[in-house]
Amino acid sequence: MAVSEADVRRVALLARLEVTDEEARSLTEHFGKILEHFHRLQELELSGVDPFSLEGPGTPWRVDEAKPWDGRDEILSEAPRREGDFFVVPRIVEEE
Amino acid sequence: MELWQLPAWKIAEEVRRGNLSASQAVESHIRRMESLEPSINAIITPMPEEARKRALAIDEALSKGADLPLAGVPVAVKDLLCTKGVRTTCGSRVLGEWKPPYSATVVRYLEESGAVVIGKANMDEFAMGSSTEQSAFGATSNPWDVSRVPGGSSGGSAAAVAAGYAPIALGSDTGGSIRQPAALCGVYGLKPTYGLVSRWGLIAYASSLDQVGPFSRDLADLALALEVISAYDPLDSTCVPGSRPRYRDALKAHDLKGQRIGFLKGYQDFDMDDEVKEKFALALRICQEGGAEMVEVSLPVSTGYGLPCYYIVAPAEASSNLARYDGVQYGLSEEGKSILELYLKTRGKGFGNEVKRRILVGTYVLSSGYYDAYYLVAQKVRRLIADEFTAAFSAVDALITPTSPTLAFKKGEKLDDPIQMYMSDLFTLPVNLAGLPAISMNVGYSKAGLPVGVQIVAPRWGETEILKVASVLTDAVGSPKVAMGGEG
Repeated sequence: MAVSEADVRRVALLARLEVTDEEARSLTEHFGKILEHFHRLQELELSGVDPFSLEGPGTPWRVDEAKPWDGRDEILSEAPRREGDFFVVPRIVEEE
Repeated sequence: MELWQLPAWKIAEEVRRGNLSASQAVESHIRRMESLEPSINAIITPMPEEARKRALAIDEALSKGADLPLAGVPVAVKDLLCTKGVRTTCGSRVLGEWKPPYSATVVRYLEESGAVVIGKANMDEFAMGSSTEQSAFGATSNPWDVSRVPGGSSGGSAAAVAAGYAPIALGSDTGGSIRQPAALCGVYGLKPTYGLVSRWGLIAYASSLDQVGPFSRDLADLALALEVISAYDPLDSTCVPGSRPRYRDALKAHDLKGQRIGFLKGYQDFDMDDEVKEKFALALRICQEGGAEMVEVSLPVSTGYGLPCYYIVAPAEASSNLARYDGVQYGLSEEGKSILELYLKTRGKGFGNEVKRRILVGTYVLSSGYYDAYYLVAQKVRRLIADEFTAAFSAVDALITPTSPTLAFKKGEKLDDPIQMYMSDLFTLPVNLAGLPAISMNVGYSKAGLPVGVQIVAPRWGETEILKVASVLTDAVGSPKVAMGGEG
């Protein structure tokens, strides 16, 4: 299946990735080859096959409860932009 | 004999007896690391000062009677395992100078056992790659021939152990990322059963496949490291509760009488280097002479379709896991007039080529209209692969395959052809898809002096079985040698 540069740019936007013109060209080429490789899976008879899930000893349920974390300042200190205890981002809600 | 040539168990024994200080052991390895790093580049962040301080603390604790199974043992950890207060990069620019506020459970377990982290090992960005060339911090060289790759993605960990920076290192394995570099660098590398080892503090790539595991040049060291890191951890909800065996006991096996070992039917016809085939045939003979009944098995779906199945499932999970790198809470952050612009620029600048490729593939196969055609199909093929292994293990106790179809290849050779690069993991990928444990171990060297590995696979929770077979093979071929870090 042919993949166009426009397809790649559409998916890149969905994935929140800025790509340069050169990257878009090379990604389009590789993307096409990779998808072609995937089509081999159509050779297999898959009707009635359940999708994979891991069997065997399971992991236990646990109570969903908040526990104190004493490294709050260390986490906040890694913020690229911070005001007090808040992460700063560009304006999200437009003014009326 | 230099201290950096010793196995970990020997260092720990001498340190516990007081014949050697942890500081002496650590110093010797730091010097070894510093002398070879200019040509190998196995370490992103060396930690000599932190290591010296830890070593002093261990000597102090021992003088007060502490019981430490890895007393004074230097270790390298792949740079996707969080280390409190020490930069953790995942081989990427997107994390910037991020310093985690906690250490990964496996790092904590090592440290509590007396091990000393000497550096954060190089890796393909976000563990995506088979050559450690896709690191934002430059490629790692194979210590057996510096013009060649060490394999990947845990290439820094494998090279560090092969070259004698540390007798033990930790890596992670999503599709072969421990076993393939172990083979190409000529060391042991074990990918545990999915659910055996805690992943708390492991930076996620593909959560249904990722496992942490050890590298070593000595089989007893590998078993010892596995005992330390595999203890149950309630912080990882996929870590299965319960006690683990004393893995070192498996190494008492010196024959394979009563064991049935499977090997791939028609393996001679696979596209492989001749010297890989020769050493694989040698491994089969050793198992047979050791008393094992050798059984031909057929795994047509795993070998024929494992690769496309993996390259749908893993990127799909990665596209979701890597959505968190958005430039808001930590790491790299570019300026943007809107939040969308901030995301696009931060991620566009922060991620390298292979990571972008996989995020795009993953986003595509999960996107509206394509989910059924790709992701759902891949999950069904994954079911067939898991069932195929289950059926094989009804007839055999373990399987043996080559680890990598090729010897260590030249740097740059496969960088422009993703599919060729992906082929490196043909024999290792299906094991992750089925959640099984497997080891790669060295069985000899090519005429040009490059290591050759074989892979041993067992049913889930079969680490003991794997170590038995590895023990018998090691009796015959000897333990791996230390690489000297020169030209081939």
